[in-house]
Amino acid sequence: MSEAIMIRDAVCSFCGCLCDDINVEVEDGKVSRVRHACRLGSSKIMGHGRMQNPMIRKDGVLVAASFPEAYDRAAEILLAASKPLLYGWASTSCEAAKKGILLAEEVGGVLDSTATVCHGPSVIGIEEKGLPGATLGQVKNRADTIVFWGCNPAEAHPRHSLRYSSNSCGKFTPQGREGRKIIVVDVRETRTSKNADKFMRIVPGSDYEVISALRMLIAGKGEILPDEVGGVQKADLADIAATLKSARFGAIFFGLGITHSRGRYKNIDNALSLVAELNSHTKFVIMPMRGHYNVGGIGQVLAWSSGYPMSVDFTRGAPYFNPGETAACDLLAKRDVDAALIIAADAVSNFPHATAEGLASIPVIQIDPYENPTTILSDVVIPCAIAGVEVEGTAYRMDGLALRLRKLVDSSLPSDEEILAGILESVHKLRQRKANEGA
Amino acid sequence: MIIRGGIVYDPANGIYGDEMDLFIDKGRMVESAKGEEIDARGLLVMPGGVDAHSHIAGKKVNTGRIMRPDDARLGTQPRTAVCRPSTGYTVPNCYAMGYRYARMGYTTAFEAATPILEARHTHEELEEIPIIDKGALTLFGNNWQVMECVRDKDLSKLAAYVAWGLCSARGYGVKIVNPGGGEAWGFGTNVKGINDAVPNFDVTPAEIIRGLAEANEMLRLPHSIHLHFNNLGKPGNYTTAIETLDMLKDIKPSRMRQVVHVAHMQFSAYGGTSWRDFESKAPVIADYFNCHSHATMDMGQLLFGSATTMTADAPLEYGNARLTHNKWSNHDIELEESSGVVPMAYFRKMLVNAVQWAIGLELALLVKDPWKVLMTTDHPNGSPFVNYPEVITLLMSRPKREAEMATLHDQVPKRTTLGSIEREMDWTDIAIMTRAAPARILGLEDKGHLGPGADGDVSVYDLRPEEVDTSQDHVLVKKSLATAKYTIKGGVVVSKEGQILATPPGRTFWVDAAVPQLEADRLMVDLEEKFARYYSVQMANYAVQDAYLPHGKAILAGLPILSEVA
Amino acid sequence: MRNITITPKSAFPISVEAENISPDKLAPLTLSQIKSLIVWQGNRQRTLSALFVIEGDDAPAKAEELTIRLSGDFSQVKRIAEGMTAGVVLVEGSVGMHAGNNMKGGLLSIAGNADDWLAREMRGGKVVVMGNAGNYLGGGYRGEKCGMRGGEIEVRGSAGAYLGEHLCGGSIRILGDAGDFPGAANQGGTIFIGGSAYLPGAEMSKGTITVKGEAKVLPSFQRLEIVQVDGLAFQKYAGDLVDNGKGELLVGVGSS
Repeated sequence: MSEAIMIRDAVCSFCGCLCDDINVEVEDGKVSRVRHACRLGSSKIMGHGRMQNPMIRKDGVLVAASFPEAYDRAAEILLAASKPLLYGWASTSCEAAKKGILLAEEVGGVLDSTATVCHGPSVIGIEEKGLPGATLGQVKNRADTIVFWGCNPAEAHPRHSLRYSSNSCGKFTPQGREGRKIIVVDVRETRTSKNADKFMRIVPGSDYEVISALRMLIAGKGEILPDEVGGVQKADLADIAATLKSARFGAIFFGLGITHSRGRYKNIDNALSLVAELNSHTKFVIMPMRGHYNVGGIGQVLAWSSGYPMSVDFTRGAPYFNPGETAACDLLAKRDVDAALIIAADAVSNFPHATAEGLASIPVIQIDPYENPTTILSDVVIPCAIAGVEVEGTAYRMDGLALRLRKLVDSSLPSDEEILAGILESVHKLRQRKANEGA
Repeated sequence: MIIRGGIVYDPANGIYGDEMDLFIDKGRMVESAKGEEIDARGLLVMPGGVDAHSHIAGKKVNTGRIMRPDDARLGTQPRTAVCRPSTGYTVPNCYAMGYRYARMGYTTAFEAATPILEARHTHEELEEIPIIDKGALTLFGNNWQVMECVRDKDLSKLAAYVAWGLCSARGYGVKIVNPGGGEAWGFGTNVKGINDAVPNFDVTPAEIIRGLAEANEMLRLPHSIHLHFNNLGKPGNYTTAIETLDMLKDIKPSRMRQVVHVAHMQFSAYGGTSWRDFESKAPVIADYFNCHSHATMDMGQLLFGSATTMTADAPLEYGNARLTHNKWSNHDIELEESSGVVPMAYFRKMLVNAVQWAIGLELALLVKDPWKVLMTTDHPNGSPFVNYPEVITLLMSRPKREAEMATLHDQVPKRTTLGSIEREMDWTDIAIMTRAAPARILGLEDKGHLGPGADGDVSVYDLRPEEVDTSQDHVLVKKSLATAKYTIKGGVVVSKEGQILATPPGRTFWVDAAVPQLEADRLMVDLEEKFARYYSVQMANYAVQDAYLPHGKAILAGLPILSEVA
Repeated sequence: MRNITITPKSAFPISVEAENISPDKLAPLTLSQIKSLIVWQGNRQRTLSALFVIEGDDAPAKAEELTIRLSGDFSQVKRIAEGMTAGVVLVEGSVGMHAGNNMKGGLLSIAGNADDWLAREMRGGKVVVMGNAGNYLGGGYRGEKCGMRGGEIEVRGSAGAYLGEHLCGGSIRILGDAGDFPGAANQGGTIFIGGSAYLPGAEMSKGTITVKGEAKVLPSFQRLEIVQVDGLAFQKYAGDLVDNGKGELLVGVGSS
């Protein structure tokens, strides 16, 4: 039995917090202990049931295959398609994303990320209003007022409040939680709201109106407001508005509660305007609580590669962006896709039913470490090494900060980047063969 | 490679329009060589263009892209056998960035401002820009460690930090933007002048600038400090410019170069007390530059049409957004900096814009020595870089300037002296302002000239300098400059008549400055505390790793290595 | 007058982008030239004749003299009549997304339903839909301040969400219900909704929105007086006051 190796300051590759203070003990080439990570991150780093072999569906049944066979079959499927969808990307590295974008360009497909079911509306809101933001350390060091709107970090981003927000201590916030006002806005009580100083419960779907009301109050135009907006009494709204206005440094964190309730991107649009206006009274920033650890990364890479951060249609050779038309959900719901490559995302579990059904009638290639409901629909299944555990790579935190993921243990499996490179090679090979045959 | 019979402008080597052959071997200029022949007989030949101040990579550029799908859909070009797709006009995607510079005959471009914490992102993007060589300047002017060293008058620790910061960011030089103001913006305020104390830090912008200038010279960095003045963009701010420059004139440069390079001088040459009586103070500024030798500038020329303003001067951007009712992105970086991005458009009939347009040109034309003035538009703040030929022809042609001025707001002649300036620049001036001077100012020894040993970067334009009247035929000149006949990078023809033929990766220059171990150790005590208490990341994950510079080129600098002090 | 009829040969499993089917593009060409025009189906380029039957008059004409009849199921065909400046396009059934994008003149008439983004960024001309329209009717492109700037759109049925977003000029008339957020960020133009609407005129700065049926009105709109229009009573509002907007919203009084 060899000595345990201690790896310090590893970066957790689970959620958008991208905690980088994780200490990992490795014994006999396996992770034996994880310190500092929350249970979500720990579970990922410790590892659980993995797929070991590629599979190809033959006569309706998934049978074991070699990696080269899987790459060839994947290339065949993609080249035969008029409109292949390359979807997922949120739980793999930027290095993989770069290869994926190249592949989408080469085969003439549509590339989209899980933002489509998550913060896609936030992106659209940003296209209307911009993003008045900051890095998480600014919140830690300066924020005396924090709002969590439509999100529940106590459950979804467990270390957020200690490392970056409510309970963090910084240069101008030495008192930590004691020196802060925490406001939660949601449609029901949550673990996060239970630890708030103020909880504003709103009627589901009324986020837009409530934000407009707050904007009016902050601008001193509250007289014309009705007595109640979104189930909240005017006096309570006025109280919240006053709290926001008197902050020394305020931060709003928001999540799916507001991106996916009635209004969608208009809600975010309005929240961004609220923050811009608050900046004429005091200092305020806003930040989306990104779910998957690298949904931010695929957005950044896609933006610098194509000009757009999500839902990019490369079918005609030049990038075309139009969420509502080019997003994965839109395409699958309309059955306007004839093949799909699903990577680093469990599409079947996370899509709305009508969308997931769209996958059932087309060939699907899955690249994932784990077997999941998407596997059942797949025609080619390629297991991969996990970025941040078995492969180095780059990821972007929810505030846009890029960090380098470590490799903690070895794996015999190829990385996503290597798999995509393999598929690209097969695509070239197949094209060359067709060209020779045609000549 | 042989470039045959061009009319060569290589001012750094005293060549001003001589007909000569040029030779390249193994990517470098040599006395003689064999190989591929490029017929350049009678055509204008210069070293590849060097852009010393442009916003081409990093978080704020990408934020510009993300918030502007309306810009991305302009300039869209599909992929070809050689090229990836292009999108964007003011905020091009990475591939367009490289192809468009190359088509214009430029072979080197430097990213103007990178915060250390987010340098990894900058390098990811730089690596994705094809063809051109690059570098990135690193921001230091609002940095907590810097301000503390300045407050404590601890110059050697400050120098150690600058060296450490450049190494961590793989940066090329010291960039200072609205010093102190970026930190004040952390709580939503700004500084009002160079002697206005920075809230919570007990230092003034003047002290920060001087401290960094001294540290810069102590480290013998190739470039000088690169400075974006306080009060940028405000009527009457020319006094801040003069005051700041004067404060630095006694500092001795450690190399044969300026002590301070002023970024986009146009935005800091304003007179008047408000937008109503706004006027140009370019003559005063130019006069100062004519009488002093410690400073250089780049123009920051504004052109009519679309732009996207992006700068570490975050309070300025907030102001821009409120003034124009535009979308606004802001990003404050813990312990280090601030930044903002706002789309803008400039109009001929808007008096302020028209005067701004005139100021950039006035500055360049009134400063006598072209070695002190670089031709830039502070891309994409004043205009996208693809419009450089427009700026060049305005500098070369008085008739063109007059024709333009006739289309502007009628009050313009009262606010600027541009109409009375007769000077027209010639090819020597242009070759200096776009090639030789930027290379010298940055301290890039192998760029901007065609002497033996220089990088084999050459641009050939379909223009006969001995026949063309650059004053009258400005339309032809502009067209020829927009699309080089040949752009040669490291001895490879990368662009021919606008078609990209090859996309070799460029190199990324950065500076590795050495400091005595004792100073580095003293510094580490401070840094360990900052990472333990204030940063939201661990020091072990902070610096840019080797993996991000597969084509990196380190330039050594710093204090001579003494024997280690235990 | 020149008449051309285009009929799909089969159903399209993957949507077709047919911006070439527009009076300006077809009018100067012979039928044989028209047949070899390119349309895209995903990443495949196809000639028009590979996917459609094209019949009609052969002689080239001017755009304003051309009537294009689209017969059959065009619901998977996008960008019909894009950029048209003159002429007539008659869709006998339903039509796909982006019909009439950037229209500047002429008439686009749809007997069935229109999909999302009908007449996006319209500048002039007229669009009539007998059935329903999808989302983003008469809308703009993401990130742009102005969408539709001129022209007239009439929908006999109902429309989806975000109709007339960033409207800067022209008029949109829906006889039925509108989806969420009609007339968002308007800077001009007029919108009429015969049925109901949810949060009309959010962040509007100028222009007029009339909702004959019920409307959920934003709290940032100021209730003014009751006005009479064509013998019907409407509650008048000023807004959207969040941004000091000077828009006008009229909502029918007395639900149907």
